[in-house]
Order: sequence, then structure tokens, then C-alpha cells
Amino acid sequence: MYRIGIDLGSSFTKGVLVRNRSEVVDYFVTRTGFDFAKAARKVIDHFSAHHAIEFPVYTCGYGREKLDAEAVSNSEIIALAKAVFELYQKPCTVIDIGGQDTKFIKIDELGQVEKFKMNRKCAAGTGSFLEEIAFRLDISPLEFNEFAQQATEEIRINSFCTVFAVSEIVGKISNGSNMPGIVLGIYNSIIERCFEMAVVEDFLVLTGGIPDNHPMIVSLFQKRNPNCVSPEKSQFLAAIGCVLLQNSST
Amino acid sequence: MQEKSEILKLESVANLRITMDDYFSRLRIADQTRAKKIAYCSSVGPAELLYSMGFEVYFPENHGAMLGASKKADTYIPTAVAHGFSPDICSYLTSDIGAFLQNETPLQRSGFTAVPKPDILVYNTNQCREVGDWFAYYARHFGVPVLEINTPLYINKLSPSIITSVAAQFQEIIPELEKVASQKFDMDKFREAIALSHDGCVLWRQVLETAKHIPSPITFFDTAIHIGPIVVMRGTHYAVDYYKVLLAELNQRIKNGVSAVPNERLRLYWDGMPLWFTLGNHAKLFSRLNTCVVASTYSNSWMFDDLDASDPFVSSALAYSKLFIVRADKEKEQVLEKLLEEFSIDGIIYHESKTCPRNSNNRYGLQNRLQKRTKIPFLEIQGDLNDARCYSEEQSIIGIETFVQQLIHKKYK
Repeated sequence: MYRIGIDLGSSFTKGVLVRNRSEVVDYFVTRTGFDFAKAARKVIDHFSAHHAIEFPVYTCGYGREKLDAEAVSNSEIIALAKAVFELYQKPCTVIDIGGQDTKFIKIDELGQVEKFKMNRKCAAGTGSFLEEIAFRLDISPLEFNEFAQQATEEIRINSFCTVFAVSEIVGKISNGSNMPGIVLGIYNSIIERCFEMAVVEDFLVLTGGIPDNHPMIVSLFQKRNPNCVSPEKSQFLAAIGCVLLQNSST
Repeated sequence: MQEKSEILKLESVANLRITMDDYFSRLRIADQTRAKKIAYCSSVGPAELLYSMGFEVYFPENHGAMLGASKKADTYIPTAVAHGFSPDICSYLTSDIGAFLQNETPLQRSGFTAVPKPDILVYNTNQCREVGDWFAYYARHFGVPVLEINTPLYINKLSPSIITSVAAQFQEIIPELEKVASQKFDMDKFREAIALSHDGCVLWRQVLETAKHIPSPITFFDTAIHIGPIVVMRGTHYAVDYYKVLLAELNQRIKNGVSAVPNERLRLYWDGMPLWFTLGNHAKLFSRLNTCVVASTYSNSWMFDDLDASDPFVSSALAYSKLFIVRADKEKEQVLEKLLEEFSIDGIIYHESKTCPRNSNNRYGLQNRLQKRTKIPFLEIQGDLNDARCYSEEQSIIGIETFVQQLIHKKYK
């Protein structure tokens, strides 16, 4: 039996094709754009074209109710917690850094969400923050990582506001600050936003597009908290969780 | 997102409309004829004293809530900001002054040309300091006196010295009120108003306490609307008459097994202000999630049972200084803990209102301390009472839906 899980995020739509209970046989990601249904349809069409069969679809994320199919909608926080617990089978804290949300999720010994928190009203510390800076400075995620690796000292970025942060960065560049130090400062500002959401006392799992595309961020998290991991293709975990939740409910 | 779920309306809504329309008619006639004097009063100010001295009483905070509910506050706030008020201060104030500067009010639908012109303004600082600046603005504009009862903020122990001081201030404003009212203070009339206020508050408490029943016949989103008469007609028979009818309807609902949320599975507590611009959507959202918000700090704030006609000044000081918002966190925690138990609460939502810090109780760790003691989970949402620009609806809905799933699992699995 095959099923599709789709996480319709604000920036990207992530889809997985799951065989039987939890075996992921295919992944697909596309930009969400302005039309959630169209993005989801792209995911479904991709899997249908490559596997030539119809699948039941389960959704979560911002556009979860926009799909004009017989999709079942889930909270992406519950779905993500489900998939993370499936992987590690122990209590943990998840920090998920997505396009416009950073989520803190505490999972108990039974795999249930014990508490959760989302970023406060603004996109500081989320993927949009990095995207905007990358666009304005015209550098790719790969270059971000390379710069951060070269850094010998951090140049702190103080501004919460994405727009002001860019101005601050441009000001520091024009004053002769080096790019590696600035990029390290940018990464650390994201990490600080995450750690101020709540106290992390146990095993920490990092998920989302940012850890997937910026491995240096994961290394920096691990410097602060050695008990931290980030699974491969972690941005697909909520989509996987959508399917796993159906296992529980049936 | 527009919620589609249906909610069960109380029949008393029609009576509420009539009661509030009549209140505004009395104000409008006073404004047009100037046959009666008009006093502006803060929402937990000395309404009884003003009514007893023959004033028609207008409440700018009530008007602020109307502007929020009309979903037009966003168009007024920038006007106030352009006139020097920060967008970070009370959005009741900024939307009210902004609307005034634009000469617009929802009252224009009820025959007013503008908000009624005050003869005097009276406030109590027990709610917040902003009312002082707010009322001072109108005092300057209209060239009329403004009087203050200064209650200390963040009260731990309600000491005799606080009561004595506040009671004295109630008495000290009387000469100025007499001058404006052109009539002498009458102790018997004041006692009568205090007695009516007490009776109205007791009835309001009984209305709120019907929600202790499982399932509840009323939600927070109902009480946020039906609170109107106890705010603006406290100290009159109109409020008493209104709540007698509402209470009867709720008791009948309980008798008939009618619940406000058709399939109540969870019972939540709401701390903080309502988000007036999306109140209806919230009501429908929680109803769709089979969740009843049964109690709230906001609606519970208008319970001044300590008012006592045999000692009107001291009991006024006591009742209005005992108010939740003016208490220190230790006192607030005790009040909340009691309510959580009495109303069989499964979870708490803290609305952290950007422009109303005194009504946001999750800023100094109270939420964590309370959870540690009670084990009741909580969710924090960021928003505002009137300024929709401070609120991300989609993000909040995801949070609320997840919270409900978390609680359902905790309660039923």
C-alpha cells in the first residue's frame, strides 16, 4: 500500500511517498508560491507520474485545507512529533526551523506532544530571515556554509528585524568587517532566537529546511548542545508524520 | 481565515441589543438636549457615584471595544500615531482618539453625530495608567475638568492604608462633581446605586458560574459580549433587569441539557483580552474543535460583590482595589488556580496583547509557575485587543488546533 504525505509550508511544499507502514520510497519538494492547491497538485502529479498509481493523500501545514482532494488534514506540529518519535523512540525536544515559523516541541516518553511554542509574530530566526539576507547579499546556502566554516571570529548581528539586520550587515561590510565573521554572526543570531524560546533539557532534534540546507547551523547547535542531532531530509518529517498519524487512527 | 462552523446563539442577544440601544439613546438625548450632564468614566471607575449624582455615563473603553469589533480600528490607529501617540500603547486609546480625530464612530449608526461631549471626566488608575493620558486628551480638547482616583498598581496585601486612601479619594472628588452636576451629593442615592451595582455584580457572577456546569451553557465569546451592561450600567436597575433574564435563559439551557458548544469535549480558560476584531472567528473555531472556553480573566473582572450599601465609600475602595488586574502576581496566581479548579479546566490560553501589558499575565513567568503547580497545559498566543496588525491568524490557528489535539489526547487516551 502506498500513501502520500504533504506538508504545505509557507515557503516550500514537501511531499513523501510512503510504502506500507513507514517506508519512504520517494521525496519531492517544490516552492509553495501563492497557490497551495497547485503546489500540492505538483507533488501528487510527480508521484503519480513516477509510480503510475493513485494514492490517498494526507496533509499538514499552512495550506493543509486548500487541497481539493479527499485529503485528511493534520497539525504539522503533531505530525512532526509523530515522525521524530518514530525515529528515535525516546523523549526529546524538537526545534524546527521552517520558512516563517520556528517551533519548539517537547515530546514525552509516549511520543505525545507535552508542550510546544512557536516564534513570536515575526520572522526573526526563521528561514525567511536567511532567505532575505541571502537575496540581498546575493549568496547561496552553499556559500553561506563555506563562509561560516572560514570564520575565525564572530561578528554579532543585533537587529531582530530582518530588514534592519540587512542594513546592519551592509553597514558592517562597508566598515571593513569580513564576510565569514558576519555569516557566523547571522547563524548564531538564528540559534539564539531558538534557544530563547524555551529551556532545552534533553535530547535535541533539529529539523526543517534550514538545518537541511545549512549544515554549519547544525554544527553550531552541537557546539552549544552536544546532545543534538539533525536527521537527513528532516524537512520531510512532518509529511511523513501525516502518514504515520493515519496508522495510529486506523 | 473565515470559520464556517455554526455557534448556538443565546436568545438574550436580542434583549442585549435593546438594553444597549436604550443606554445609548439616553446618552444621545443627554448629548443633544444637554438636559443631563455627561461624565466619561473608566471601565472600572466610580460609575455608581456618577449615576447617583444624575450623570449619564459614557465609557471610552467600551467605545474602544466597539471600534475593535467593527474591524475598523486599523484605520484609526495610524491617525492617532500621526498625532504623536505611539503604536505600542493601548490600542483602545489609539483607535478611540484616531476615530475621534477622523470624526467617525459606530454610534453614528445610532443617531449620534459624534461621541457625546463630556461635562467632566473621571477615572480610576486601578485598570492602567493609560486612562489618565486618554482622559486628559479629551479634557484638554473639550476644556472640561478631569478627576482621578489614584489606586496603587501591583497590590500584594490589600492593606487598610490602601483602602483608607482610595475611600478618601472617592469622597474628595465629590465637591467638583457637585459643581458640574449642579446638584448636591445625596448619600441615600449613592447607597441605592451601590446596592444596585452589588446586585448586578452578583447576578453577573451567577451568569458566569453557570459555565461550571458540564457541558457549559455559555462560552467566553458570549460573555465578552454580554458583559456590556455590567460595564456601562453598573449601579442602575437596567443591568440588574438584564442579567435576571440572561441567567434564567442559561439555567433553562442547563435544565434542558443544551450546551453552548454542541459537543463539548474540552474546557479552556482564556487569560488576557479578547481579540475584538476576530472574536466571532474564534467562537466558531473553538466550536468546530468541540472546545468550550468556559471562563476568562476578562469577564471575571466585573464581579464587585464587596460593594456594600451600608458602607459605600469603604466598600467601593475595597471592591475596586481587589480587582484582578491591579493585584500582584502572587494574588493573581491564587485567583487563577481557584478558577481552574472550579471550572474543571483542561488547558489555558494566554493571549499576550501587544498594547495591553497589564492584561497580559504571561510576561513574568506566571504561566510556568501555575503549570508546575496545577499540571494544566497552556498555550500562548500573541496578538492585540484592537490592532489586527499585531496578530498572525494562521499561525495562531495552527497553535490552537495543535493545543486542542494535545489536550484531547491527554484527556481521553
